[in-house]
Amino acid sequence: MQVKSLHVDETALIRAAQAGDHAAFEQLVRAYDQSVLRLALNLLRSPEDAHDVYQEAFLRVYRNLNSFRFDCSFHTWLYRIVTNLCLDHLRKRKVRREEATVLATAEGPLDRMESVMEQRVEGDPQRHLFSGQVRSRIKQVLGELTPRERMVFELRHYQGLRLRRIGEVLGTTEEAAKNCLFRATQKMRAALGDFL
Amino acid sequence: MTECESMRARLALLLYGELSFDDEERVESHLDSCVDCRKALERERALHASLDRVEITPSPSLVRECREELEARLADEPRPMAPNWWDKLVDAIAIRPSGGFLRPVGALTLVAVGFAAARMIPAGGDVQGWISAGLALPGHVRYVEREPDGRVQMVVDETRQRIVSGRLDEAPIRALLLAAAKDPGDAGLRAETLEILDERAQSAEIREALVFALEHDPNDGVRMKAMDGLKAFGQDPEVRGALKYVLLSDANRGLRTQAIDLLVGQNRAFDRDMVGTLQEVMQQGEQLSYVRERCRRVLEAMNASIETY
Repeated sequence: MQVKSLHVDETALIRAAQAGDHAAFEQLVRAYDQSVLRLALNLLRSPEDAHDVYQEAFLRVYRNLNSFRFDCSFHTWLYRIVTNLCLDHLRKRKVRREEATVLATAEGPLDRMESVMEQRVEGDPQRHLFSGQVRSRIKQVLGELTPRERMVFELRHYQGLRLRRIGEVLGTTEEAAKNCLFRATQKMRAALGDFL
Repeated sequence: MTECESMRARLALLLYGELSFDDEERVESHLDSCVDCRKALERERALHASLDRVEITPSPSLVRECREELEARLADEPRPMAPNWWDKLVDAIAIRPSGGFLRPVGALTLVAVGFAAARMIPAGGDVQGWISAGLALPGHVRYVEREPDGRVQMVVDETRQRIVSGRLDEAPIRALLLAAAKDPGDAGLRAETLEILDERAQSAEIREALVFALEHDPNDGVRMKAMDGLKAFGQDPEVRGALKYVLLSDANRGLRTQAIDLLVGQNRAFDRDMVGTLQEVMQQGEQLSYVRERCRRVLEAMNASIETY
């Protein structure tokens, strides 16, 4: 919703950035960078990888901004870049064992993700009731989805994109995105059924 | 596959609001009569709620680190090449966004510009030659650029008026109306155009134009017309997205109130997405007291909590 409210001025910002206005480019970055970082962090579950995707995505935008012709929305164009980078990371993980997010320390297990999470729901009693066992099972199931299923699920469930837009971002049809989402939710239902 | 299995396979898409109108209708009428599937829907909601709780929001420190490093890296980047005049001409003529159907017109225009330039502009393309060749001076200079030899190169618009008439189902007429619906200089023209287009709102491209106007038009009256045209499509996912945007962000309270009516209709069943939107409105400022009061009543009717926790 926040992204949409920027739409009216966005064309002017993009044109200014294309003409070399650095402040305009910075405004564009700030309009989208938190969603980009959230997407990368949730998908990759690694602050270092999310940081790398952030840098690479906005550098590519900067280098190629003049080839942006408004054929699609800037949001779609940016997300194409980000999702491609994230998919590359996810696919690489399929062939090499990834560093675990939970580290064993002298004080007990430490989740590296905790240090980069904003504690939005501090004090929420439901959060305390929510079993750590379920959380770890969900993380495990998310990790077992294929990169495409993971991506479609992330974009729909957490980023709130419509399937039609997801199809545009991933260069596929709405129907294919729907099938992917269907498979992802089916796998999660099967894996988490006992906990619900 | 039994009817229950077939319905349960659709529950996730139902919660995401991604079922077609007919499918949603089928699932909901099945749910009315099937206790087991209603329980399955509750389990699906519990799954969604559990998934919500593992979402990570980046900390402000991570955002800050990323921004600082990007700024440093951009300082080392060579400045990207500015687009040349031909790129700008192509860009100026291109119809966008969601105007793919007019791209052939843009392409033809480019060809015509090239052809006319070759035929009409005397050798060297200087203005004096143009005038002496009997051509009218153009009304609008769109782009100007100094060339290395000191000459100036311009892209100019030529305007000629024509009367065009036809029926709404003729593609060129529709294309012109859709362009008029986005004319930035004339709100009255946009409002009249949308009123004409309203009667064909069952067409996806016209609905898309109405949705665009509802979300982006700066004029209250034009957005009102767009909403009128979308009244019958309150269940369409794109229309619902636009209505939620109006409910959350529109500066006009009347439009926001009307958006609640269209979004909720007669349906007071619990709807996770809708409840979230209404709760978001409840968190907005006091100046929206009437809109908030409407939201509060709908939330109560849905047996949903008034605020998020």
